[in-house]
Amino acid sequence: MNKTATRKRSFQQDFSLLALLLIPIGVAINFVGFQLAQVLRLPIFLDVIGTILVGVIAGPWVGLLTGLITNSITAIFNPVYFPYVVVSMAIGVAAGLLSKAGLLRTLPKAILSGLVITAVAVVISAPITVIFFGGATGNTSSAITATFLATGQTIWQAVFSSTIITEIADKVISVLIVFFIVRSISDRYLSKMKYGEQYMKRNRRK
Amino acid sequence: MATNAIRALHPMTKFTFALFVTAAVIAVPSYLFAYAMFAALLVIAAAAGVLREFFAFVLKTLVVLLIIVFLMQLLFYPGDDIIGGWWVFTLTQEGLAYGLLLTSRILAIGSAFILFFRITEVKDFVKALENMGLPPAGAYVVLSTLQIIPEMRRQSNVIMDAQKTRGVETEGSVLVRAKAFLPTLTPLILSAIASTEERAITLESRAFSAPVNKTSLHTLERRPIDTGLIALFTIGAVALIVWRVAVWIL
Repeated sequence: MNKTATRKRSFQQDFSLLALLLIPIGVAINFVGFQLAQVLRLPIFLDVIGTILVGVIAGPWVGLLTGLITNSITAIFNPVYFPYVVVSMAIGVAAGLLSKAGLLRTLPKAILSGLVITAVAVVISAPITVIFFGGATGNTSSAITATFLATGQTIWQAVFSSTIITEIADKVISVLIVFFIVRSISDRYLSKMKYGEQYMKRNRRK
Repeated sequence: MATNAIRALHPMTKFTFALFVTAAVIAVPSYLFAYAMFAALLVIAAAAGVLREFFAFVLKTLVVLLIIVFLMQLLFYPGDDIIGGWWVFTLTQEGLAYGLLLTSRILAIGSAFILFFRITEVKDFVKALENMGLPPAGAYVVLSTLQIIPEMRRQSNVIMDAQKTRGVETEGSVLVRAKAFLPTLTPLILSAIASTEERAITLESRAFSAPVNKTSLHTLERRPIDTGLIALFTIGAVALIVWRVAVWIL
Protein backbone atom coordinates (compact mmCIF):
# COMPACT_ATOMS: atom_id res chain seq x y z
CA MET A 1 0.00 0.00 0.00
CA ASN A 2 1.42 3.40 -0.90
CA LYS A 3 1.77 6.26 1.52
CA THR A 4 -1.21 8.43 0.55
CA ALA A 5 -3.55 5.44 0.74
CA THR A 6 -2.30 4.71 4.25
CA ARG A 7 -2.84 8.30 5.24
CA LYS A 8 -6.33 8.35 3.79
CA ARG A 9 -7.24 5.22 5.67
CA SER A 10 -5.94 6.62 8.94
CA PHE A 11 -7.95 9.80 8.29
CA GLN A 12 -11.10 7.72 7.91
CA GLN A 13 -10.25 5.73 11.01
CA ASP A 14 -10.09 9.00 12.95
CA PHE A 15 -13.80 9.35 12.24
CA SER A 16 -14.98 6.05 13.68
CA LEU A 17 -18.62 5.98 14.71
CA LEU A 18 -17.72 6.45 18.38
CA ALA A 19 -15.52 9.43 17.50
CA LEU A 20 -18.38 10.92 15.47
CA LEU A 21 -20.78 10.45 18.37
CA LEU A 22 -18.29 12.18 20.66
CA ILE A 23 -18.55 15.39 18.60
CA PRO A 24 -22.09 16.38 19.73
CA ILE A 25 -21.03 15.68 23.31
CA GLY A 26 -17.96 17.88 22.89
CA VAL A 27 -20.03 20.72 21.44
CA ALA A 28 -22.57 20.42 24.25
CA ILE A 29 -19.75 20.45 26.85
CA ASN A 30 -18.57 23.75 25.36
CA PHE A 31 -22.04 25.24 25.80
CA VAL A 32 -22.65 23.77 29.25
CA GLY A 33 -19.17 24.79 30.45
CA PHE A 34 -19.86 28.37 29.39
CA GLN A 35 -23.30 28.31 31.00
CA LEU A 36 -21.90 26.86 34.21
CA ALA A 37 -19.17 29.51 34.37
CA GLN A 38 -21.92 32.13 34.03
CA VAL A 39 -24.15 30.55 36.69
CA LEU A 40 -21.23 30.33 39.11
CA ARG A 41 -20.18 33.87 38.11
CA LEU A 42 -16.62 32.80 37.35
CA PRO A 43 -14.47 35.48 35.71
CA ILE A 44 -13.46 33.18 32.80
CA PHE A 45 -15.37 31.72 29.83
CA LEU A 46 -14.52 27.98 29.95
CA ASP A 47 -16.22 27.56 26.57
CA VAL A 48 -13.68 25.34 24.78
CA ILE A 49 -13.42 22.47 27.28
CA GLY A 50 -15.33 20.15 24.96
CA THR A 51 -13.20 21.01 21.93
CA ILE A 52 -10.00 20.36 23.88
CA LEU A 53 -11.35 17.12 25.37
CA VAL A 54 -12.36 15.75 21.97
CA GLY A 55 -9.03 16.77 20.43
CA VAL A 56 -7.13 15.11 23.27
CA ILE A 57 -8.83 11.71 23.12
CA ALA A 58 -10.04 11.49 19.50
CA GLY A 59 -7.30 13.37 17.65
CA PRO A 60 -6.82 16.71 15.89
CA TRP A 61 -9.30 16.22 13.01
CA VAL A 62 -12.22 15.31 15.24
CA GLY A 63 -11.21 18.23 17.49
CA LEU A 64 -11.23 20.55 14.49
CA LEU A 65 -14.74 19.43 13.55
CA THR A 66 -15.95 19.95 17.12
CA GLY A 67 -14.69 23.54 17.02
CA LEU A 68 -16.29 24.12 13.62
CA ILE A 69 -19.69 22.80 14.71
CA THR A 70 -19.60 24.69 18.02
CA ASN A 71 -19.13 28.05 16.34
CA SER A 72 -21.56 27.21 13.54
CA ILE A 73 -24.27 26.54 16.10
CA THR A 74 -23.44 29.74 17.97
CA ALA A 75 -23.80 31.50 14.62
CA ILE A 76 -27.44 30.43 14.37
CA PHE A 77 -28.16 32.70 17.32
CA ASN A 78 -25.40 35.26 16.91
CA PRO A 79 -23.56 35.19 13.57
CA VAL A 80 -21.35 38.18 14.36
CA TYR A 81 -18.69 36.15 16.14
CA PHE A 82 -18.51 33.47 13.45
CA PRO A 83 -15.03 34.62 12.24
CA TYR A 84 -13.67 33.20 15.52
CA VAL A 85 -14.50 29.73 14.20
CA VAL A 86 -10.88 29.57 13.02
CA VAL A 87 -9.72 29.91 16.64
CA SER A 88 -11.93 27.05 17.82
CA MET A 89 -10.78 24.80 15.00
CA ALA A 90 -7.12 25.59 15.71
CA ILE A 91 -7.62 24.84 19.42
CA GLY A 92 -9.08 21.43 18.53
CA VAL A 93 -6.13 20.64 16.25
CA ALA A 94 -3.59 21.91 18.79
CA ALA A 95 -5.14 19.81 21.57
CA GLY A 96 -4.95 16.73 19.33
CA LEU A 97 -1.33 17.31 18.39
CA LEU A 98 -0.31 18.02 22.00
CA SER A 99 -1.99 14.79 23.08
CA LYS A 100 -0.23 12.86 20.30
CA ALA A 101 3.10 14.24 21.56
CA GLY A 102 2.23 12.95 25.04
CA LEU A 103 2.00 16.45 26.49
CA LEU A 104 -1.10 15.76 28.55
CA ARG A 105 0.18 12.81 30.51
CA THR A 106 1.47 14.67 33.57
CA LEU A 107 0.32 17.80 35.36
CA PRO A 108 3.39 19.95 34.55
CA LYS A 109 3.16 18.97 30.89
CA ALA A 110 -0.56 19.77 30.91
CA ILE A 111 0.20 23.29 32.16
CA LEU A 112 2.70 23.65 29.33
CA SER A 113 0.00 22.46 26.91
CA GLY A 114 -2.32 25.10 28.35
CA LEU A 115 0.24 27.77 27.54
CA VAL A 116 0.68 26.44 24.00
CA ILE A 117 -3.08 26.52 23.45
CA THR A 118 -3.18 30.06 24.87
CA ALA A 119 -0.52 31.06 22.34
CA VAL A 120 -2.48 29.46 19.48
CA ALA A 121 -5.68 31.21 20.59
CA VAL A 122 -4.01 34.62 20.94
CA VAL A 123 -2.10 34.50 17.64
CA ILE A 124 -5.26 33.62 15.73
CA SER A 125 -7.93 35.60 17.58
CA ALA A 126 -6.09 38.93 17.92
CA PRO A 127 -5.88 39.57 14.14
CA ILE A 128 -9.58 38.65 13.81
CA THR A 129 -10.45 41.16 16.53
CA VAL A 130 -8.44 43.92 14.84
CA ILE A 131 -9.49 43.24 11.24
CA PHE A 132 -13.16 42.38 11.70
CA PHE A 133 -14.04 44.48 14.73
CA GLY A 134 -11.44 47.24 14.80
CA GLY A 135 -10.14 45.97 18.16
CA ALA A 136 -13.32 45.78 20.22
CA THR A 137 -15.76 42.92 20.61
CA GLY A 138 -17.89 44.23 23.43
CA ASN A 139 -16.72 41.98 26.26
CA THR A 140 -14.45 42.79 29.19
CA SER A 141 -11.29 42.60 27.09
CA SER A 142 -12.47 45.67 25.15
CA ALA A 143 -12.09 47.77 28.29
CA ILE A 144 -8.54 46.45 28.74
CA THR A 145 -7.78 47.15 25.08
CA ALA A 146 -9.07 50.70 25.48
CA THR A 147 -6.87 51.21 28.52
CA PHE A 148 -3.79 50.10 26.59
CA LEU A 149 -4.76 52.33 23.65
CA ALA A 150 -5.13 55.28 25.99
CA THR A 151 -1.58 54.72 27.23
CA GLY A 152 -0.37 55.17 23.66
CA GLN A 153 -0.01 51.61 22.38
CA THR A 154 -0.88 50.82 18.77
CA ILE A 155 -4.07 48.87 18.09
CA TRP A 156 -2.10 45.66 17.45
CA GLN A 157 -0.09 45.91 20.68
CA ALA A 158 -3.20 46.77 22.67
CA VAL A 159 -5.28 43.90 21.29
CA PHE A 160 -2.48 41.36 21.66
CA SER A 161 -1.86 42.43 25.27
CA SER A 162 -5.52 42.36 26.27
CA THR A 163 -6.12 39.02 24.50
CA ILE A 164 -3.20 37.42 26.33
CA ILE A 165 -4.54 38.70 29.66
CA THR A 166 -8.06 37.36 29.09
CA GLU A 167 -7.03 34.08 27.44
CA ILE A 168 -4.21 32.80 29.59
CA ALA A 169 -6.19 31.88 32.73
CA ASP A 170 -9.12 30.64 30.68
CA LYS A 171 -7.15 28.28 28.43
CA VAL A 172 -4.72 26.95 31.06
CA ILE A 173 -7.62 26.16 33.42
CA SER A 174 -9.62 24.58 30.57
CA VAL A 175 -6.71 22.27 29.74
CA LEU A 176 -6.30 21.34 33.41
CA ILE A 177 -10.01 20.51 33.66
CA VAL A 178 -9.65 18.27 30.60
CA PHE A 179 -6.55 16.70 32.16
CA PHE A 180 -8.54 15.73 35.27
CA ILE A 181 -11.66 14.62 33.39
CA VAL A 182 -9.70 12.37 31.00
CA ARG A 183 -8.24 10.60 34.02
CA SER A 184 -11.71 9.70 35.23
CA ILE A 185 -13.01 8.34 31.91
CA SER A 186 -13.32 4.55 31.97
CA ASP A 187 -10.51 2.47 30.46
CA ARG A 188 -13.08 0.61 28.39
CA TYR A 189 -14.04 3.81 26.58
CA LEU A 190 -10.51 5.22 26.34
CA SER A 191 -9.31 2.02 24.68
CA LYS A 192 -11.64 2.72 21.75
CA MET A 193 -10.36 6.26 21.21
CA LYS A 194 -7.43 7.16 18.98
CA TYR A 195 -5.20 8.68 21.67
CA GLY A 196 -7.06 7.19 24.62
CA GLU A 197 -4.68 4.37 25.44
CA GLN A 198 -2.03 6.55 27.09
CA TYR A 199 -4.59 7.84 29.62
CA MET A 200 -5.79 4.38 30.72
CA LYS A 201 -5.27 3.75 34.41
CA ARG A 202 -3.15 0.66 33.94
CA ASN A 203 -0.83 2.54 31.54
CA ARG A 204 -0.50 5.61 33.74
CA ARG A 205 1.35 3.93 36.60
CA LYS A 206 4.99 3.51 35.80
CA MET B 1 -44.76 23.72 4.18
CA ALA B 2 -44.09 27.42 4.31
CA THR B 3 -46.65 29.44 2.41
CA ASN B 4 -44.62 32.64 2.36
CA ALA B 5 -42.88 33.16 -1.01
CA ILE B 6 -39.55 34.15 0.55
CA ARG B 7 -39.51 31.43 3.17
CA ALA B 8 -40.44 28.82 0.55
CA LEU B 9 -37.20 29.46 -1.32
CA HIS B 10 -34.48 26.83 -1.29
CA PRO B 11 -32.08 27.24 1.69
CA MET B 12 -29.14 27.64 -0.68
CA THR B 13 -30.90 30.53 -2.41
CA LYS B 14 -31.21 32.35 0.89
CA PHE B 15 -27.65 31.45 1.84
CA THR B 16 -26.31 32.76 -1.48
CA PHE B 17 -28.19 35.98 -0.80
CA ALA B 18 -26.49 36.37 2.60
CA LEU B 19 -23.12 35.78 0.91
CA PHE B 20 -24.05 38.31 -1.77
CA VAL B 21 -24.78 40.94 0.91
CA THR B 22 -21.41 40.14 2.51
CA ALA B 23 -19.53 40.50 -0.78
CA ALA B 24 -21.43 43.67 -1.69
CA VAL B 25 -20.76 45.61 1.51
CA ILE B 26 -17.08 44.63 1.45
CA ALA B 27 -16.75 45.60 -2.24
CA VAL B 28 -18.51 48.96 -1.96
CA PRO B 29 -16.53 51.20 0.42
CA SER B 30 -19.44 53.36 1.52
CA TYR B 31 -21.20 53.27 4.85
CA LEU B 32 -24.33 54.73 3.28
CA PHE B 33 -24.50 51.73 0.95
CA ALA B 34 -24.09 49.28 3.84
CA TYR B 35 -26.75 51.03 5.94
CA ALA B 36 -29.04 51.01 2.90
CA MET B 37 -28.40 47.27 2.69
CA PHE B 38 -29.63 46.94 6.27
CA ALA B 39 -32.77 48.88 5.32
CA ALA B 40 -33.26 46.46 2.41
CA LEU B 41 -32.91 43.52 4.83
CA LEU B 42 -35.60 45.07 7.04
CA VAL B 43 -37.93 45.20 4.03
CA ILE B 44 -37.18 41.56 3.17
CA ALA B 45 -37.76 40.54 6.80
CA ALA B 46 -41.10 42.34 6.75
CA ALA B 47 -42.04 40.62 3.50
CA ALA B 48 -41.10 37.26 5.00
CA GLY B 49 -43.20 38.02 8.07
CA VAL B 50 -40.34 37.88 10.57
CA LEU B 51 -39.73 41.62 11.05
CA ARG B 52 -40.37 41.67 14.79
CA GLU B 53 -38.23 38.60 15.50
CA PHE B 54 -35.45 39.82 13.17
CA PHE B 55 -35.39 43.26 14.74
CA ALA B 56 -35.32 41.81 18.27
CA PHE B 57 -32.34 39.61 17.36
CA VAL B 58 -30.45 42.52 15.80
CA LEU B 59 -31.08 44.64 18.89
CA LYS B 60 -30.01 41.88 21.25
CA THR B 61 -26.84 40.77 19.46
CA LEU B 62 -25.56 43.76 17.52
CA VAL B 63 -26.38 47.12 19.09
CA VAL B 64 -24.03 47.02 22.10
CA LEU B 65 -21.21 45.63 19.96
CA LEU B 66 -21.71 48.34 17.32
CA ILE B 67 -21.66 51.15 19.90
CA ILE B 68 -18.44 49.84 21.44
CA VAL B 69 -16.76 49.29 18.06
CA PHE B 70 -17.81 52.78 16.94
CA LEU B 71 -16.54 54.51 20.09
CA MET B 72 -13.27 52.58 19.89
CA GLN B 73 -12.61 53.88 16.36
CA LEU B 74 -13.81 57.40 17.13
CA LEU B 75 -11.57 57.73 20.18
CA PHE B 76 -8.48 55.80 19.18
CA TYR B 77 -8.20 55.55 15.39
CA PRO B 78 -5.02 57.38 14.36
CA GLY B 79 -5.59 60.41 12.13
CA ASP B 80 -4.57 64.02 11.53
CA ASP B 81 -7.84 65.73 10.66
CA ILE B 82 -9.03 66.76 14.13
CA ILE B 83 -12.74 67.52 14.39
CA GLY B 84 -13.04 67.94 18.13
CA GLY B 85 -11.93 66.81 21.55
CA TRP B 86 -13.53 65.27 24.58
CA TRP B 87 -11.79 64.91 27.93
CA VAL B 88 -8.36 63.36 27.14
CA PHE B 89 -9.39 62.14 23.69
CA THR B 90 -9.04 63.79 20.31
CA LEU B 91 -11.66 62.97 17.73
CA THR B 92 -10.49 62.69 14.13
CA GLN B 93 -12.26 62.68 10.81
CA GLU B 94 -10.49 59.43 9.91
CA GLY B 95 -11.73 57.78 13.11
CA LEU B 96 -15.28 58.90 12.46
CA ALA B 97 -15.18 57.66 8.86
CA TYR B 98 -13.64 54.30 9.75
CA GLY B 99 -16.04 53.84 12.67
CA LEU B 100 -19.03 54.44 10.43
CA LEU B 101 -17.71 52.13 7.71
CA LEU B 102 -16.78 49.29 10.07
CA THR B 103 -20.05 49.40 12.04
CA SER B 104 -22.14 49.61 8.86
CA ARG B 105 -20.40 46.51 7.50
CA ILE B 106 -20.78 44.53 10.74
CA LEU B 107 -24.44 45.55 10.86
CA ALA B 108 -25.15 44.56 7.24
CA ILE B 109 -23.26 41.24 7.28
CA GLY B 110 -24.38 40.27 10.78
CA SER B 111 -28.03 41.02 10.10
CA ALA B 112 -27.91 39.26 6.70
CA PHE B 113 -27.05 36.02 8.48
CA ILE B 114 -29.43 36.72 11.37
CA LEU B 115 -32.16 37.07 8.75
CA PHE B 116 -30.98 33.90 7.00
CA PHE B 117 -31.44 31.83 10.16
CA ARG B 118 -34.80 33.45 10.92
CA ILE B 119 -36.24 32.43 7.53
CA THR B 120 -34.49 29.07 7.21
CA GLU B 121 -35.02 25.92 9.25
CA VAL B 122 -31.64 24.53 10.35
CA LYS B 123 -32.93 21.08 9.33
CA ASP B 124 -33.49 22.34 5.77
CA PHE B 125 -30.10 24.01 5.61
CA VAL B 126 -28.33 20.83 6.74
CA LYS B 127 -30.33 18.82 4.21
CA ALA B 128 -29.26 21.27 1.50
CA LEU B 129 -25.63 20.85 2.54
CA GLU B 130 -26.11 17.09 2.43
CA ASN B 131 -27.44 17.35 -1.12
CA MET B 132 -24.29 19.30 -1.98
CA GLY B 133 -22.02 16.52 -0.76
CA LEU B 134 -21.91 16.64 3.05
CA PRO B 135 -21.75 12.99 4.22
CA PRO B 136 -25.01 11.82 5.85
CA ALA B 137 -23.03 11.01 9.00
CA GLY B 138 -21.97 14.68 9.15
CA ALA B 139 -25.57 15.80 8.81
CA TYR B 140 -26.53 13.42 11.62
CA VAL B 141 -23.78 14.84 13.83
CA VAL B 142 -24.96 18.43 13.32
CA LEU B 143 -28.63 17.67 13.89
CA SER B 144 -28.06 15.45 16.91
CA THR B 145 -25.84 18.17 18.41
CA LEU B 146 -28.81 20.54 18.30
CA GLN B 147 -30.85 18.02 20.27
CA ILE B 148 -28.14 17.12 22.75
CA ILE B 149 -27.31 20.70 23.84
CA PRO B 150 -30.64 21.49 25.59
CA GLU B 151 -30.72 17.96 27.00
CA MET B 152 -27.27 18.33 28.57
CA ARG B 153 -28.13 21.82 29.85
CA ARG B 154 -31.10 20.38 31.71
CA GLN B 155 -28.98 17.56 33.03
CA SER B 156 -26.29 19.95 34.27
CA ASN B 157 -28.93 21.80 36.32
CA VAL B 158 -30.10 18.52 37.81
CA ILE B 159 -26.52 17.51 38.69
CA MET B 160 -25.83 20.91 40.20
CA ASP B 161 -28.92 20.65 42.40
CA ALA B 162 -27.90 17.15 43.41
CA GLN B 163 -24.41 18.34 44.35
CA LYS B 164 -25.90 21.24 46.33
CA THR B 165 -27.93 18.71 48.29
CA ARG B 166 -24.70 16.86 49.03
CA GLY B 167 -23.21 20.09 50.39
CA VAL B 168 -21.23 21.44 47.45
CA GLU B 169 -21.36 25.21 47.82
CA THR B 170 -22.29 27.36 44.82
CA GLU B 171 -22.34 30.70 46.61
CA GLY B 172 -19.52 32.63 48.22
CA SER B 173 -16.06 33.71 47.09
CA VAL B 174 -14.72 33.04 43.59
CA LEU B 175 -12.69 30.12 44.92
CA VAL B 176 -15.72 28.49 46.58
CA ARG B 177 -17.79 28.92 43.42
CA ALA B 178 -14.96 27.62 41.23
CA LYS B 179 -14.80 24.46 43.35
CA ALA B 180 -18.38 23.64 42.33
CA PHE B 181 -17.42 23.57 38.65
CA LEU B 182 -15.75 20.15 38.40
CA PRO B 183 -18.27 18.23 40.56
CA THR B 184 -20.99 19.42 38.16
CA LEU B 185 -19.17 18.99 34.86
CA THR B 186 -17.43 15.66 35.47
CA PRO B 187 -20.55 13.51 36.11
CA LEU B 188 -22.24 15.21 33.15
CA ILE B 189 -19.39 14.40 30.78
CA LEU B 190 -18.91 10.86 32.03
CA SER B 191 -22.60 9.99 31.70
CA ALA B 192 -22.79 11.64 28.27
CA ILE B 193 -19.76 9.67 27.08
CA ALA B 194 -21.24 6.43 28.41
CA SER B 195 -24.42 7.13 26.45
CA THR B 196 -22.51 7.35 23.15
CA GLU B 197 -21.73 3.62 23.33
CA GLU B 198 -25.43 2.83 23.58
CA ARG B 199 -26.18 5.24 20.79
CA ALA B 200 -23.55 3.59 18.59
CA ILE B 201 -25.22 0.20 19.07
CA THR B 202 -28.63 1.70 18.30
CA LEU B 203 -27.35 3.33 15.12
CA GLU B 204 -25.48 0.26 13.96
CA SER B 205 -28.56 -1.89 14.45
CA ARG B 206 -30.17 0.44 11.91
CA ALA B 207 -27.29 0.05 9.44
CA PHE B 208 -25.91 3.58 10.02
CA SER B 209 -22.42 2.75 8.73
CA ALA B 210 -23.58 0.50 5.90
CA PRO B 211 -21.91 1.59 2.64
CA VAL B 212 -25.15 2.14 0.74
CA ASN B 213 -27.18 5.12 -0.44
CA LYS B 214 -29.32 6.53 2.34
CA THR B 215 -32.99 7.30 1.81
CA SER B 216 -34.20 10.49 3.43
CA LEU B 217 -37.75 11.15 4.57
CA HIS B 218 -37.02 14.86 4.39
CA THR B 219 -36.57 16.20 0.86
CA LEU B 220 -36.09 19.70 -0.48
CA GLU B 221 -37.57 21.11 -3.61
CA ARG B 222 -35.39 23.20 -5.88
CA ARG B 223 -37.47 25.23 -8.31
CA PRO B 224 -36.37 27.21 -11.40
CA ILE B 225 -36.69 30.45 -9.43
CA ASP B 226 -34.03 29.17 -7.00
CA THR B 227 -31.59 28.40 -9.81
CA GLY B 228 -32.29 31.83 -11.31
CA LEU B 229 -31.83 33.73 -8.06
CA ILE B 230 -28.65 31.85 -7.14
CA ALA B 231 -27.20 32.70 -10.56
CA LEU B 232 -28.26 36.34 -10.12
CA PHE B 233 -26.71 36.71 -6.65
CA THR B 234 -23.52 34.95 -7.71
CA ILE B 235 -23.10 37.09 -10.82
CA GLY B 236 -23.92 40.21 -8.80
CA ALA B 237 -21.34 39.40 -6.13
CA VAL B 238 -18.64 38.52 -8.67
CA ALA B 239 -19.37 41.67 -10.69
CA LEU B 240 -19.06 43.89 -7.61
CA ILE B 241 -15.79 42.27 -6.59
CA VAL B 242 -14.35 42.53 -10.12
CA TRP B 243 -15.43 46.18 -10.25
CA ARG B 244 -13.80 46.85 -6.90
CA VAL B 245 -10.54 45.17 -7.86
CA ALA B 246 -10.55 47.03 -11.19
CA VAL B 247 -11.01 50.40 -9.46
CA TRP B 248 -8.31 49.48 -6.99
CA ILE B 249 -5.74 48.50 -9.62
CA LEU B 250 -6.44 51.25 -12.17
